[in-house]
Amino acid sequence: MSKIPDREELRNVISSRGLAMTVEEAEKLAGYVDRMPTPLEFHLFDTMWSEHCSYKSSKSVLNTLPTDSPGVVIGPGEDAGVVSFCHQDGIEWDLVVAHESHNHPSQVLPVEGAATGVGGIVRDVYCMGARVTGSMDLLRFGDPEGSKGEATRGIVRGVVEGIWKYGNALGVPNMGGDTEFHPGYDDNCLVNVVAFGVVPHDRIIHSFVPEEAHKEPYVLVLTGKPTDNTGFGGATFASADLDGEQGMGSVQVADPFLKRVLSEANQAVLDMLFEKGVKFGFKDLGAGGIACVTSELAAHGGLGIDVDLDAVPVSIKNLPPEVIACSETQERYGLAVPVSVVDDILSVYNEKFELPRLFPNCRAAVIGRFNSKPVYNVICRGENVAETPINYITEGVVYQREECPMDNAAPEPAQRPCDPSKDLTRILTSISGCSRKHIWSYYDSEVQGVTRLRPGEADSCVSVPVEGSRAGLAVSGDGNPWYGELDPFLGGAHAVGEAVRNVVATGATPICATDCLNFGNPEDPKAFWQFKQAVAGIAEACNALGFSGGDYPLPIVSGNVSFYNQSTGGKAIPPSPIVAVFGKIHDHRKATDIVLRKEGNLVLLIGTRKDELGGSLFYRTCLGHHGGTVPTFRGSLEKRMADWILGVIHDRRAYSVHDISGGGLAVAGAEMALASRKLGIEFSLDSNPVTLFSETPGYLVEVDSRFVEDVTLPEFVSVAGKVCMGCSVSGNGWSVDLESLRKEWSDKLASVIWREEGV
Amino acid sequence: MPRAAVIRFPGSNCEFETARVLRNSGIDARIYNWNDIERLSDNRADAYVLPGGFSFQDRIRAGVIAARESIMDLVFEEAVNGKPILGICNGAQVLLESGLVPGWKPGSVQAALAGNLAPGRSGYLSGWIHLKAAPEAVEKCPWLCAMNEEPIPVPIAHAEGRFVFREEDLDRVMSHIGLTYCGVDGSAPHGWPGNPNGSLLDVAALMNADGNVLAMMPHPERSFHLWQVPPDMQGPWGDMRRNSSMKDLEDQPGPGAIIFKSLAKYLGVE
Repeated sequence: MSKIPDREELRNVISSRGLAMTVEEAEKLAGYVDRMPTPLEFHLFDTMWSEHCSYKSSKSVLNTLPTDSPGVVIGPGEDAGVVSFCHQDGIEWDLVVAHESHNHPSQVLPVEGAATGVGGIVRDVYCMGARVTGSMDLLRFGDPEGSKGEATRGIVRGVVEGIWKYGNALGVPNMGGDTEFHPGYDDNCLVNVVAFGVVPHDRIIHSFVPEEAHKEPYVLVLTGKPTDNTGFGGATFASADLDGEQGMGSVQVADPFLKRVLSEANQAVLDMLFEKGVKFGFKDLGAGGIACVTSELAAHGGLGIDVDLDAVPVSIKNLPPEVIACSETQERYGLAVPVSVVDDILSVYNEKFELPRLFPNCRAAVIGRFNSKPVYNVICRGENVAETPINYITEGVVYQREECPMDNAAPEPAQRPCDPSKDLTRILTSISGCSRKHIWSYYDSEVQGVTRLRPGEADSCVSVPVEGSRAGLAVSGDGNPWYGELDPFLGGAHAVGEAVRNVVATGATPICATDCLNFGNPEDPKAFWQFKQAVAGIAEACNALGFSGGDYPLPIVSGNVSFYNQSTGGKAIPPSPIVAVFGKIHDHRKATDIVLRKEGNLVLLIGTRKDELGGSLFYRTCLGHHGGTVPTFRGSLEKRMADWILGVIHDRRAYSVHDISGGGLAVAGAEMALASRKLGIEFSLDSNPVTLFSETPGYLVEVDSRFVEDVTLPEFVSVAGKVCMGCSVSGNGWSVDLESLRKEWSDKLASVIWREEGV
Repeated sequence: MPRAAVIRFPGSNCEFETARVLRNSGIDARIYNWNDIERLSDNRADAYVLPGGFSFQDRIRAGVIAARESIMDLVFEEAVNGKPILGICNGAQVLLESGLVPGWKPGSVQAALAGNLAPGRSGYLSGWIHLKAAPEAVEKCPWLCAMNEEPIPVPIAHAEGRFVFREEDLDRVMSHIGLTYCGVDGSAPHGWPGNPNGSLLDVAALMNADGNVLAMMPHPERSFHLWQVPPDMQGPWGDMRRNSSMKDLEDQPGPGAIIFKSLAKYLGVE
């Protein structure tokens, strides 16, 4: 091997190999190995030090998020977060949650990109030992009718297709999510994916080689799809600005069929290992492929490893060693196991589940041996292709980025003319305010047979994931780009607030949250300031909305940062903090939906309306204005409202509940009526834009007419109206017949976005 | 206790909930891998279910590869023996591709499940539809024998669920119809969306001549409990769902339970 290279030589390698690392980072690497690094070492460190894997710009800010609460089993740091969920038949069940972005791949290859997004996030949950019981997609697209409308529509259709083709075949029920359109995503869509599952507490598996490997020989078994050259450089691609169609080769190719078979085979292997009482490590292959999984399993267990690339099953011959080691071929897992059980493991994968028959050269194979020498050593065709002190690989890098506040004093509209009937109609038939049902109709939300409330039936989807238990799991993901654009702090705070309300509205108590933070280039001080603001907003909301008693916050247990969401020529996306909240309802039979139940019932308004319509659907749709005053985040009031709602639902006094967010009170009421089909609401409130359309956080709750006699209403609760026959909403001087709007409300999305398919 | 075998192929994904609802119906259900032939052959079941999913990735056509797996020889044999056999969704596709349904010419494909035909869309479609049983099917099909003329709401979730037949077969197919799509009141659906995929004759489930083999596209295992029925469902099942007490929500069977209740009745479960 050669002498230490100079900067010029390193710069040449970086440019000829298309690496993302800086010359300074390359110098650091050369210093580590004390020579010119090998191609494999360059690519391995390029991945490990990419923004995507290292969080080098964000780490110092993320440390400010609250992560501690009594129910937390594993906080941020491993592949997924874990919180305790329920006890059933003597077993303690935990909930495993993960949240990630797959933005760049979905922009350039929507079907494959979105499919791989689902495939990647479910692996993070599977590899903790859990069964995956649901997934959710938080989607942000450009303006489907704007200057880049045709491209945007193609991306929306492709992303939806990728999600259904993968998720439906995998057999993981889709628990909805949300979809927003904003011209700021014209060049860079967002595909954020959430997955979750359940695992018995004593069967959580860690992603490192266990201590026992210091005493007896352990090997690394690689299982799944044979390695090819797909996704080579994927993490690096995710960590740079988008430049046209460049990077297509970095997009991975997903195979839900293999994943499905592998999941069952994995489960059989894990069952066997637990039965034998063997200690083992288990990790999925994602960014950085074999190189990352082998080095991380070893390094986090305090060992070194010898990897033999010639033992890796491949589907393409004569791949260069760095491609075999670093490609991001999907549907693969690595196991760190004692030599004594290897034959049994290989027989489950290769014989019982016949992997080699299902896909050419798909199989489990031993590709490495752990040892006590702390070196990451890789052999290919008899040659050493990497030899690095192993602790350097996982050490990481940290940068302090500069920040520069943006000018966020946007003006309010000078006048606010309002015709409630016309304005409500306009909102419900706009692309932002119409039903998302067409998207959900492609998704299988009911496979596994545990779904209690599907997308659109309630504010969050609810499932009953533990067999024999009545414990219900409610999930919602939110984030309003229009708020984020005007005020990233409030964008972050309300992302938490709305997701909490959606979970609470079904009767579930929030137990944890995950976040995916989507921003522009962190080297741009304005983008980095936005990021810090949003994180501060999330932290404030989480600190205010803890439900575990004491001063405990709502803990963030997992998440992801996605920077560089901008095209090389265009603007960065609106600051897009997206938050998912998970709630537990002790008895799923109490879960509440948005369907109005009974004529004559009262509709209560929780949360006094305030004049704060900045970013609102009303301003955007009816006035063509963004406004400036985003709703204030009132943490302690949000908490008191949530506690009150949970009490009413727990007492079985709430017939239906809907949170007030996008579109305000009028839209919330209309959505309840549309869901009920036969009933509506007569509001007895002032007919002004603030009352009807302000997005001040709150709820509408249907109760029987005796409720106000039985219960002393707190100051934030008032009577808003009553349930009437006929699918309509009305107020003083206005009325909208929703039945006649139903078709347009439910078909609008299809008629705009699927128009090329002839809708 | 009577026994049912749920046969999973590589890519099946509804085997667990299918086995679960069978057990809930008083039937001992076990899951067998496609290559568990010996184990199953030595220990035959009283009924067989091919669950939903994407066997062999829907390569070539949905169900076509699974239909040629060796374990299907055993299923074929048991079909001839008169054992109840049910294919749900992808399982139905396998039964058609194996020639067991409608079964006019053993081993030969006589009908097909084609891509959904729905206005303005292609690909997958999920949603709840209503079904009703053909009177003749109630007489002879062990999977439908507890049904009456009331329509039941059940979800569908498929991309290729359109039953198609040769024109010359349209007459003789009538006696093979198990379930048809219908309106909430049991009336003919008159096309989309009551008939969600463009199936000829509104067929949702088709039988062999003896009625012991049933290929159905909708998923009865997903509407097994009353709590699984959507809260905005129209008709009597929706009213029952919305007005149920907490106890009923849990204890009352859902509309799809009748399929498994039929089997239990046929097998003499008390």
